[in-house]
Amino acid sequence: MKLSRRCFLSFVIGGAAGTALSPLPWKLTDDIAIWSQNWPWTPVPPDGAYSYTPSTCTLCPGHCAIQVRKVDNRAVKIEGRGEKGPAGGICPLGLSGLQLLYGPTRIQAPLQRVGDRGAGHWRTLTWAQAIDAVVTKLAEIRAKGTPQALAAIAPTDQGTVAQLLQRLLTAYGSPNFLRMPSADDSAEAALRLTTGTDAYTVADLDKTDFILSFGCALMDGYGAPVQTIRAVTRMRERKGTLVQIEPRLSNTAAKADTWLAAQPGSEADLALAMAHVIIGQGRFDARFAMDRIDGFDGFARMVRDKYAPRNVAQTTGIDAETITRTALAFADARRPVALHGRGKGEMPGSLKEALAVQILNALVGNIDQPGGMQIHPAANGYIQWPAVASDAVASAGMGAGRLDEAGGSRFPHVRHLMHRFIERIDQDPDAVQALLVAEANPCHNLPDSDKVKAALGKIPFVVSFSSFMDETAMQSDLILPSHLYLERYEDVPVTRGGAKPTIRLCRPVVAPLYKTQHPGDTILRIAKALPAPVAAAFPWRDYETCLRDTLAHRWSAMDSKGFWIEKPVAAAPVAAAAAVETTNHNGPEEGVPAAADAPAAPAAATAQARRLALLNDDLSAVLMADNATLSDEAGHPLTLVPFDSIRTASGYAGDPPFMVKIVEDTVLKEQDGCVEINPTTAAQAGLREGQGALLSTPVGQARVRIHLSEGIMPGLLALPRGMGHTAYDAYLSGKGVNINQLIGSVQDPASGLDAVWGIRAKLTKA
Amino acid sequence: MDSALIPEGVKRCSLWKFLLALALVGAVMLWGVYAMLLCWIKGLNQTNMNDYYGFALWIWADLAVIALGGGAFFTGLLKYVFGKDQLKYIINYAVLIGFICYSSAQLILGIDVGQPLRGWFIFWHANVHSMLTEVAFCLTCYFIVLTIEYIPLALDNRQIQKVPFFANLTHNMHSAMAVFAATGAFLSFFHQGSLGGVSGVLFGRPFSFREHILIWPYTFFLFTWSAAAFGPSFTLFVTWLTEKITRKKLVKDEVIHMVAKISGWMIFTYIIAKSIDTLYWMFATAPSQGLQWSFFYQNNPLYGKWILFTEIIICGFLPGLLLIFKATRENPTTRVAALVLGIVGVCLNRWVMVLQTLAAPVMPFDSWVMYIPSWQEVATTILPITYGIILIMISHRYLPIFPQERELNPIDTPDAPEAAELPEPAPAVVAEGQSA
Amino acid sequence: MKQTQSQQRPKRYGMAIDLDKCTGCGSCMVACFAENNVSFKQDETNKLLSITWLRVYKITNGKPFPDTEVCYVPRPCQHCAGQHEGHSPCVSVCPATATDYSLYTGIVSQIYTRCFGCRYCMAACPYHARYFNWWDPIWPEGMERSLSPNVSPRMRGVVEKCSFCFHRYQLARDKAYLEGKRPIREEEYQTACTQACPSGAIVFGDLNDPAHEVYRIVQPDPDNHYKARNPRAFRLLERLGTNPKVYYLSSREWVRRAGDNYLENEAPGTIGAPRGAH
Repeated sequence: MKLSRRCFLSFVIGGAAGTALSPLPWKLTDDIAIWSQNWPWTPVPPDGAYSYTPSTCTLCPGHCAIQVRKVDNRAVKIEGRGEKGPAGGICPLGLSGLQLLYGPTRIQAPLQRVGDRGAGHWRTLTWAQAIDAVVTKLAEIRAKGTPQALAAIAPTDQGTVAQLLQRLLTAYGSPNFLRMPSADDSAEAALRLTTGTDAYTVADLDKTDFILSFGCALMDGYGAPVQTIRAVTRMRERKGTLVQIEPRLSNTAAKADTWLAAQPGSEADLALAMAHVIIGQGRFDARFAMDRIDGFDGFARMVRDKYAPRNVAQTTGIDAETITRTALAFADARRPVALHGRGKGEMPGSLKEALAVQILNALVGNIDQPGGMQIHPAANGYIQWPAVASDAVASAGMGAGRLDEAGGSRFPHVRHLMHRFIERIDQDPDAVQALLVAEANPCHNLPDSDKVKAALGKIPFVVSFSSFMDETAMQSDLILPSHLYLERYEDVPVTRGGAKPTIRLCRPVVAPLYKTQHPGDTILRIAKALPAPVAAAFPWRDYETCLRDTLAHRWSAMDSKGFWIEKPVAAAPVAAAAAVETTNHNGPEEGVPAAADAPAAPAAATAQARRLALLNDDLSAVLMADNATLSDEAGHPLTLVPFDSIRTASGYAGDPPFMVKIVEDTVLKEQDGCVEINPTTAAQAGLREGQGALLSTPVGQARVRIHLSEGIMPGLLALPRGMGHTAYDAYLSGKGVNINQLIGSVQDPASGLDAVWGIRAKLTKA
Repeated sequence: MDSALIPEGVKRCSLWKFLLALALVGAVMLWGVYAMLLCWIKGLNQTNMNDYYGFALWIWADLAVIALGGGAFFTGLLKYVFGKDQLKYIINYAVLIGFICYSSAQLILGIDVGQPLRGWFIFWHANVHSMLTEVAFCLTCYFIVLTIEYIPLALDNRQIQKVPFFANLTHNMHSAMAVFAATGAFLSFFHQGSLGGVSGVLFGRPFSFREHILIWPYTFFLFTWSAAAFGPSFTLFVTWLTEKITRKKLVKDEVIHMVAKISGWMIFTYIIAKSIDTLYWMFATAPSQGLQWSFFYQNNPLYGKWILFTEIIICGFLPGLLLIFKATRENPTTRVAALVLGIVGVCLNRWVMVLQTLAAPVMPFDSWVMYIPSWQEVATTILPITYGIILIMISHRYLPIFPQERELNPIDTPDAPEAAELPEPAPAVVAEGQSA
Repeated sequence: MKQTQSQQRPKRYGMAIDLDKCTGCGSCMVACFAENNVSFKQDETNKLLSITWLRVYKITNGKPFPDTEVCYVPRPCQHCAGQHEGHSPCVSVCPATATDYSLYTGIVSQIYTRCFGCRYCMAACPYHARYFNWWDPIWPEGMERSLSPNVSPRMRGVVEKCSFCFHRYQLARDKAYLEGKRPIREEEYQTACTQACPSGAIVFGDLNDPAHEVYRIVQPDPDNHYKARNPRAFRLLERLGTNPKVYYLSSREWVRRAGDNYLENEAPGTIGAPRGAH
């Protein structure tokens, strides 16, 4: 058949017209639109049966009650569990927990390092292999007769998991169990000095009507963040007063009725000057002073001579009149309370400051009063385990004394001195042969983090129990990944939230996603594989058995309600606790954790009878000591201080993507951290908003961007804690500056604690 | 080679020269097409738009080309409805420019929306209260009208006219053109107006919000007016440009002067209305929202009071007056200067109505946000310009766009190659004007 | 479900945010992300490209140290009613009816599958409450397991915004219907941000129901476009005639003044609707 051109053209045109008039183009148009509404690469979350699981959040020491919404086996939302109604307040980190659970930084099986440290090359092990690797190494060290060369770092010493780890060290023969530093260190030391007991304090913020806060980030993660925010907000609603002492207009200062921008580092002087006013004008609680205070007269003389407001006006930058007015307002309030612990309380600070604040509380007689400072015995009282039976190796190891010298003759008032431990490794690389790091991130969170990393580099065997590939896990030889809090049972004492001593239960919300293990079980498995005296100290089949045994009668209530409130008992005197130890133990061992083993104190020693010393020889030494000051460095005219934000997680877990998303663009811009600076200071340095600059300190330097803020004291620079991660995923890594790379430790002359609050610095145009 | 397609009695450059020029413009167009594909495949993250600048360069380009394309409807209106017969010598070109402008606008919109595959929802799920719906309907309808107006033009090609069906079709369409022109003018009033309404109704944006007559904000009328005023200016300017490039006179001066005069008066009257509108906004509308008018012209690096001066005086009153006065209107230099100023003025007006509207903070704690388009946005904005150039090149080469061309440029060398190749004179092909 | 609704008088869901209480912690933002499957990118520091249905703005009184004050202003979608019910800036301009005003709840909805991404609504909204999906949403591998089935993840190229957790309203409404067609109780329908707020700064409820706390706080005046009668309360950009349903409370004059535009001689709270608003 011959096709003419005309015929062909007609066919084409006719065909086109016919197709256009048919339903085909309309159908296609519709289909394409429907396809665009259902792009296969946009996920469609599957529906299912809804349920709620109550649990406890352990991402920070606040230990808030949470409930997790589930759809079938998937956890889809974490909510707060309020006092009334099903859902209550919750912080941004708590809300983002599922991003940690399902996130890409989870470690999915035991890993063994195959390349250089920090290079990130790993080999997957089975759990049996991994436990075996640890046990072999630990057995080897112990066989050498140097069990004290094993050390462990934990985020806390409270609860069964931390206590199992400490028990492992004790049975093994090492006193070198270290807790990550926090303001608890100085608060506990202050209590030891004034009351002679191992105890902790918690302010009854729900009933107070006047808060005198020495730099506490009440609105940014202090204590139990949600409860603190709620309590302070309600107090202000009740027309209570918040006085914030801080050189920077933080979110807490922004909510304060009075913001006193005192020179950082001068807070102890300010507190003692206020004590001067309160005593001098006779506004102290005379009855309380009479009944329960020792050394009042000596103290009064001391502050009268040395701490008149006009004497400290210069150093604090607060005029005498303001100091006097504030002190009197504090003293005259019905239920005043003074709070200590800079920022979220993640660094100890100076003992003198902690003591001065505690003395203010004692002067207004609020100790153990509603709305005042509650003193509770150490929170591990419910953990009553049989004493460890040690062999000669263990006894020798325990007798060798702690590497950080905490609790020894040099630093008698404190229990953990992390910076000294790091220093010690730095000086004596053989001191520690193996280190267990249990869900803590010292390589990022400790001051002078580069030095910490280097120190870890000197330890031949580092084991991390981390759930995430954090900076410390990156530096380890072996990772034994733990279940995340949403996958496990755990008892969590609440020492920062409510005024009553409470234990909450963390419980599994979802079945473990990966080949991880409960850290309690990891410790038990290691212990049981070690030689007899160690293994014998761990009679429990597994962690859950241990937990149920330990909680005993509390278990059923905790399992149904989620929490348990301990009956108030007086804290055991330190000396008495020591006595209990010696009588309790059948062996010659020493240094067994007092808190874990001490039984409840005799009923006679009730809270009401507790006495406080304001002055004795020990106290005098602390109070008369100089402030821990920053050494002046030539060419560093400015001072860099860290600040805490509830939007930047600075504990064990880093910011999940949701939290990085809410970090303000004045804190993080692209990958650059922004340093906060007063416009007048910036003008002197010729720096403009958003400009790049090099921030140098005697410890390190970093590229930053300038953020001008009228709310910061001239001469100061501020950077947030919790940024500048190098590990984790692309959502967090490489963003901003880790302030710990820029600051170093400053040893408190009175206590040995790390009193660092800043560092001298300079800014140059980059 | 392609002489059989070239209209009779006119001279065109050699095919190679033509193809070379086509290739050059085509290369730029391909760049634009690449950018367009990037925007479609990777999404609008290829642009520098953001959540504060949902509308940016593209919407400005849309508004600008439609204003400039206004020459088509207004010339049609004058010719077919008001009987200005002289305009038949330029209406072809006005229609062609209008067609290019409107098709460009649609193309840009097709790139600009986040989900082009379901862009037709604007018709299917139409919200009659939205100015954009009005724009979409009128724009589409008017584009169909322009296509209908352009088809007989395209069919006027010598070879197509040899087919009796097309010859008849062309003839009949030419006859019916008055109806289409009237429809087009009517539709244009609405979509030009609704484009003005797009920013005028934004009562959350005090910079562009205007008070209303019935349902239409003042900008509705100002946009129609300005398109009628500056559109013919643009037609004249492109005609002048075409004359310069082809190096021949294509339209007689009397036609040019007539259009210029009309444009001048339209500009002048428009700018008076615009001034009244601006003053009313400055001293009544903005203050009622708690804002001093000067607030919109300070604290930012670009948008200053110079804009008002430039838009109203330099690019408004000045070109208006230059085109009204005979001496300056008939002097090619001042006339073209006026045309350019006018075009700049209307483009500037569309720019501020879109971009400055979004740049100015509304919440007191917000701040000015500046915007620089990405190369993908620039390339896709240049894309329709290259497409327009190509369409003009092809149309001019093969279609009798300018009825007066032959008369103004007699081919006096009988042995000119194109003429020599023609064995017999083709049937007279004159623009549709004669058949009307 | 329309039947159940029409049996009861119209709701007017709204919010009162106490700026004296807001600490700027950002829990509301994260609660909203988690509740509504809001996507995130590796770099979210360009806040003009960061989807935050509820954004917390930080404002300052501009005074030098140490007289500086700051205040946080959480800004969800304001669910404007306009000068006549339903004439929100955005709803009136959407060409494809992809955003709508519910006369039963007063909630401004967004239909992602109908939206074709013209972004006219974004140009119309003076609060910048609307966000465009410039990118395909991508969850790191495994994290899509945390997505809630109650809210569809959005595809690239569409606009999204706060819905006052409308899916929670639907769940509460359906439950109430099944339990004998009873009315929804105040605590049964609460937004995620309200529940998450640690300081209790956000109160949510029906502005038409005098028993609801939000009503008691705001004391809206139905005869005057629901202007608050509480002198501490104000709405953002009230003068534009947007008639929003989110009220703010502050005891500080400079904060209240920052809620709207005022000429120098004007005092906040005394000014009515603008000329030509409709």
